[in-house]
Amino acid sequence: MPEAKFKCLRCGHEYTGSYTPGTPQELTCPKCRSNSVRRLPEKKPAQKD
Amino acid sequence: MMDVGRHPNITLYSYSEVDALTGFVGNFHITIRRKARYVVESECTACNDCVEVCPVVVPDEYQQGFSSRKAIYIPFPQAVPSAYVLNMEECLGNNPIACGKCAEACEKKCIDYDMQDELINIEVGVVIVATGMEVYDPTELDEFGYTRHENVVTSMEFERLICAGGPTEGHFLRPTDRETPKTIGFIQCVGSRSENRGNPYCSNICCMNTVKDTLLLRDHYPDIEAKVFYIDIRAFGKGFEDLYKRSREGGVKYIRGIPGEIEENPETKNLLLTVENTTTGQLEKHELQMVVLSLGLVPRHDGDLLKRFLTLSNTVDGFLMECHPKLKPVDAPTRGVFFAGCVEAPKDIKDSVTQAGAAAARASILLNAGKVKVEAITSRIIEEKCNYCGICARVCPYHAIMEPDRKAKKAPVVIQAACAGCGTCAAECPQDAIEMRHYRDEQYLAQIEALMAERPHEHIVTFACNWCSYPGGDDAGTARLQYPTSCRLIRTMCSGRVDEDFVMHAFRLGAPIVLVSGCHFSDCHYIDAVQWTQKRVERMWNKLERLGIRPERLQLDWISAADGQKFARVMRELEEMLKTVTMEEIKHTMEVLSNGKAEKKATAAKKAKVKKKTPTKKAKVE
Repeated sequence: MPEAKFKCLRCGHEYTGSYTPGTPQELTCPKCRSNSVRRLPEKKPAQKD
Repeated sequence: MMDVGRHPNITLYSYSEVDALTGFVGNFHITIRRKARYVVESECTACNDCVEVCPVVVPDEYQQGFSSRKAIYIPFPQAVPSAYVLNMEECLGNNPIACGKCAEACEKKCIDYDMQDELINIEVGVVIVATGMEVYDPTELDEFGYTRHENVVTSMEFERLICAGGPTEGHFLRPTDRETPKTIGFIQCVGSRSENRGNPYCSNICCMNTVKDTLLLRDHYPDIEAKVFYIDIRAFGKGFEDLYKRSREGGVKYIRGIPGEIEENPETKNLLLTVENTTTGQLEKHELQMVVLSLGLVPRHDGDLLKRFLTLSNTVDGFLMECHPKLKPVDAPTRGVFFAGCVEAPKDIKDSVTQAGAAAARASILLNAGKVKVEAITSRIIEEKCNYCGICARVCPYHAIMEPDRKAKKAPVVIQAACAGCGTCAAECPQDAIEMRHYRDEQYLAQIEALMAERPHEHIVTFACNWCSYPGGDDAGTARLQYPTSCRLIRTMCSGRVDEDFVMHAFRLGAPIVLVSGCHFSDCHYIDAVQWTQKRVERMWNKLERLGIRPERLQLDWISAADGQKFARVMRELEEMLKTVTMEEIKHTMEVLSNGKAEKKATAAKKAKVKKKTPTKKAKVE
């Protein structure tokens, strides 16, 4: 399974976890147990000209 | 089974599978694949002549592989109808030159090698799902040495060994030396109540099954010394405690502790169990001649197909989820579908029979009425607004919306009997072309306006679903749990009903924090509607960020009906967050959202981003 960065919108904790693309999952912050966890967009490497 | 086979109102399709199942309550269309038996059922007299001449010998699944059967066989002794089945994969070939002995031996000429699977279409009003369960495969638990040590057997294998109709005709023999063992151990909770391997849930039946087995052994073989290794014995139910007492009084030793390892003596084939007795705190070793693994129950491996056919969902343990655990325990979330037996959860025979009776009664209520009463909270398409995008049909958890016809400009149609009123379609419709009866957008917007009428900056607007989060709040109240008074609840049937417009309207009117809360994914009362909630909230976080509003101000939480503790905790945490939201921030949000241009700009920016990702045809050609 691919990994992504997640950020808890309650406590601000950022962590890396796996996810299944295309399938919503119940996300829980490992620090504060909130479900307000947002998958952060992947940063693409800058393209060379 | 005999009664079912003979009943004038029951058509029994044995050796058959459901190929397709569509429709809704009162109008289910089922395609049944009646598999080819290669034996004409109506002519076969079960004389056994074909079996005697069949040269193919394979392990008998019914006898757990302890004995063999032929390629032509009756699956189990009381099978209805009592007719043979020819397994073509095991048969030497349907070419009579290769074998054809059964066809030669059959006087009635019942063998038909050219028989084909038959597809039968039937229409039914209701469906009762009673597909049962499977038993846990203990091979992954290497410490017990199942398959490595011959004298370690499963509870299913034990049943066959002690059964009068079993391979040993009821003489209980251990597999290695065909002698009756003098000592036997039962290990409980194999595949159950384990977080790491197996399943975390209790399988309900294993304790009493073992108690029954020990009593059976005591009755037939009083000299056998039996020991039961357990975590704790769960003997609830009528008469069960008495049985347990009888077993203990009969001399069966109950040792609290699960063996960590089973070693085999290579000469005697006896088994040495190492176990920590948690009652005494001592590490003990027990030498036994035979060990029975008391297996837990697991959902059927082919359950996904059934779920797809009937738009069902499952609980976290994999068993099918009922409509409501207390109020509708035999109803599926899909109207007109009922559960009986272990398909819903592990249960014993008594509970299965009780549930089957309830399911039959529930089904007969619908059938006898001849019409279906639906809740008056179904959705309605506003045709003038519809642009035929079909999103509503795709998101409906019940497949209750028929796809629109864009070319013919035909709006989607809501099947009122199938709609459960979750409101996901209304929340997802980009044109606001769906109205939920009695839960209209205007009603929600009016509620939000009423909440925000006074001191809006002090209130947390909370959308709570009818089935879990709202009762979660009730639970917090009845348990007298303290939580801040800033919470203002708006009840929705499902969190899937929470439209983006509702959230934005709350922010527009000055709400510092908005909480969307619903059932846990595995508890969703509208199959998978809660997944659309999550997707929508993620979209809203992105939008808020584009508008320069902190996405943290929109919160999401899954709170179950019994989790008042969590409800109170979330409210306390949000109260702390509320203090971090400044008046300037709230005013800025109100300005941004009141200015339709900013919102449109954000939407346009999103569209441009999507367009940039997908190159045009021209660009591709270049």
